[in-house]
Amino acid sequence: MMEINKWVNHLTKNFVSIYPLVVFRIFFGIILFTSTLRFILKGWVYDLYLKPTYFFTYKGFDWISPVGENFIYGAFALLLIFSLLITLGLFYRVSAVMFFLVFTYIELIDKTNYLNHYYFISLMSFIMIFLPANKFLSIDNLLGIIKEKRFIEAWKINIIKLQVGVVYFYAGIAKLNYHWLVEAQPLSNWLKHQSDFPIFGNLFLNDYTAYIFSWSGALFDLLIFFILINKRYRIYGYVLVVVFHILTSIMFPIGVFPLVMIFTTLIFFSDEFHEKLLYFINKNKFLKKYQSEIINSKKEKNLLIKLLLTAFFILQLILPLRFLLYPGKLFWTEQGYRFSWRVMLIEKAGYAQFFIHEPRMNRKMLIENQNYLTPQQEKMMATQPDMILQFAHFLSSEFKDSTINESNGEIIYLGENPKITAKVKVSLFNKGSKDFINSNVNLSNIKRGLKHKEWILKYED
Amino acid sequence: MCISCQKKGCTDPVAINYSNEAEKNDNSCQYQDFDKFDLLTNLTNNYILPSIESYKNKVTLLKTSTDLFILSPNIINLNNLRSSWEETHLNWQDIAFLDFGPSEYILLRSQTNTYPIDTSEVNNSILNAEWNFHNATYNDSKGLQALDYLLHKPGYSDLQLVNYYSSNVNAKEYLKAIIDDLMVNINYVNNEWINHKSNFINDFEINNSGFSSNSQGSSISNIINALCLHYEFYVRRGKIGLPLGVFNGFSQQELPHLVECYFSGKSLQNTARCINSIRNFINGSGYINNDNGLGLDDYMNFVNAEYNNMQLSKVIDNQIVTILEELNNYNNPLSDEIINNKDDLLNSYEELQKLVPFIKVDMTSGLGVLITYQDNDGD
Repeated sequence: MMEINKWVNHLTKNFVSIYPLVVFRIFFGIILFTSTLRFILKGWVYDLYLKPTYFFTYKGFDWISPVGENFIYGAFALLLIFSLLITLGLFYRVSAVMFFLVFTYIELIDKTNYLNHYYFISLMSFIMIFLPANKFLSIDNLLGIIKEKRFIEAWKINIIKLQVGVVYFYAGIAKLNYHWLVEAQPLSNWLKHQSDFPIFGNLFLNDYTAYIFSWSGALFDLLIFFILINKRYRIYGYVLVVVFHILTSIMFPIGVFPLVMIFTTLIFFSDEFHEKLLYFINKNKFLKKYQSEIINSKKEKNLLIKLLLTAFFILQLILPLRFLLYPGKLFWTEQGYRFSWRVMLIEKAGYAQFFIHEPRMNRKMLIENQNYLTPQQEKMMATQPDMILQFAHFLSSEFKDSTINESNGEIIYLGENPKITAKVKVSLFNKGSKDFINSNVNLSNIKRGLKHKEWILKYED
Repeated sequence: MCISCQKKGCTDPVAINYSNEAEKNDNSCQYQDFDKFDLLTNLTNNYILPSIESYKNKVTLLKTSTDLFILSPNIINLNNLRSSWEETHLNWQDIAFLDFGPSEYILLRSQTNTYPIDTSEVNNSILNAEWNFHNATYNDSKGLQALDYLLHKPGYSDLQLVNYYSSNVNAKEYLKAIIDDLMVNINYVNNEWINHKSNFINDFEINNSGFSSNSQGSSISNIINALCLHYEFYVRRGKIGLPLGVFNGFSQQELPHLVECYFSGKSLQNTARCINSIRNFINGSGYINNDNGLGLDDYMNFVNAEYNNMQLSKVIDNQIVTILEELNNYNNPLSDEIINNKDDLLNSYEELQKLVPFIKVDMTSGLGVLITYQDNDGD
């Protein structure tokens, strides 16, 4: 018992050097800044938030929207400013709070754009709110806004490690499925398109390569956290991190995510390592020794924050497992799929046609999706049932109480709750497109929510 | 004999491990030396470049016949001009779906073949001798479809049409302007292709997102996105579905005046030609000598793309053949068939519709092409 207590204290309350946290603040801030800038320069603010007229919002957050051109560009400008302020350690706390809020707001606008690495950035920027990353080598120090400190409680560093560990470990768990391990899917499909990869191209065509990649990828994700926290093997673990992420970034279009992980995992290195890094930035800070500070440091009482962060992690540990509550095949129904670190796990494509029905006669009108959705939205919707339902509800409300003047002179009144059905074809792992949902179900009568969607057809292998 | 007793093995004769004893494909086929560079080289050198050049030559001949008709308007020269237009139009179908690179840049498809034509704008322009084909608002009063109207004006006998042009300088100028516009556009596209074809063939290798296979912006992705869009939107919808009324509200009232080549009645032959060209392109057939080179079908076979335990390439080819057979059943102009034979046409449309998920879902995911424009981590 004493041993465990000692160990817990060692990981949470003991005072450790602030250097790793400061290095993290600087690198993470720079990455946030550059990836936001990249996003803007690629024209994605327009493509994703201004071009679409309809947005697939999250339940409970339906009030969130890009508002307008000035608002959304303003939000991105704020992200640039706050990420820069985080890097410099100027008005750090306010900047961290604001970055988290603005970034998360933008991510909640449209499910179409959900990416696991955006989720990661949301979580990380939330944690940063509670970390005193500006207590050393910051402009806040220079201005006297906050007193310089070289030692902080250990949990303020270990919490970042824990977050990284959760991501990798759950990404590894997610890979422990039949398709990944036994069929080496989807990698065996994807690698076949890499035959032009320099030097290794031909190797990728070999079936064994897909198996080697799949299995080593799963092992990497499951074990890397434990390798990184081990002093002796840490350096090898980090080499693996770099190799793994560089390889995936060359092979797949995954944006800045590999860089995020390569820099974030530096947190696992020793205080001395981080001290050397900071020495490059400002030599003067390291001329004197500051041993006395530890003794003077008061233990802080911040029970509320600790409770909050504990709940935050418990939630993260539960969320990826919620899929167990649903019947059916997860990759087919995608119920409980998001927010679970399922990265590059499936190859799925779909095609959806929606129909609006005339109340009295047995006639229906085909909806042309492209009148309402961008190609990207249409593609993402076609394979994700909650988005199919949302779009059906949107159509129902769009045509509610409207009259249609037909070209033959007929006038059709659609009533207050027009019936909407959809014919959807989906292919999973390239096994041929199959009917995805019950095409007779009136989707406008089905409530949105977390309840099992019985109208999804069973997956037949 | 039972099905499960069939000897399993690779049943594709093109595969290196083809077994002539195998009766049931077991998905083990292996294909040697499939190389995207070779695929793009074949598609570019044996289909894209020769088809564009052929169309360019047809437009040149069309110009000659137009000049001749303008110089001496008579019925012989009119019919000569009409058949030259018909040839050009059919050739257009061979390149219409190649809407990427220079063609996409100048919106060649909209400039060349927008319909229905705005006949009153055409007549007003001729009346006032005022038009500006550089302006996109004139897309529906120029191009091949304007010629469809001007060479087959409803209510005019051949002689009346000849007299119309003999006595109308503006109309002659308008004809010439349409041809010149077609010429300028295809010369541009042809030159760009000749000058930059190696970029296209090598594109996937120098893609700035690394060697990310068929990602957005790569040549393979451009080809397939253009092919899917053209078939789904401009063929299935534009050439058949829209005039048939499939997209027209609840009543599905037919809209025969929306067919391509409404005035000449040459709709169906153009539709069939376009679908046949798509078939040739997918199969990697040469444009001139029709030999079977590396095509998207070989790529699909190479990655073992399947549909219901059949090779996807076969499923797609069979479906295209079914569609072509369907279209072959109609002898009258499409606008007439739509009115007199709607039920049959609706069945034919269903066959056209079936091909959409095959190419848009099965082919794109098999070939790792994303119909998207954003970084994506696979969710």
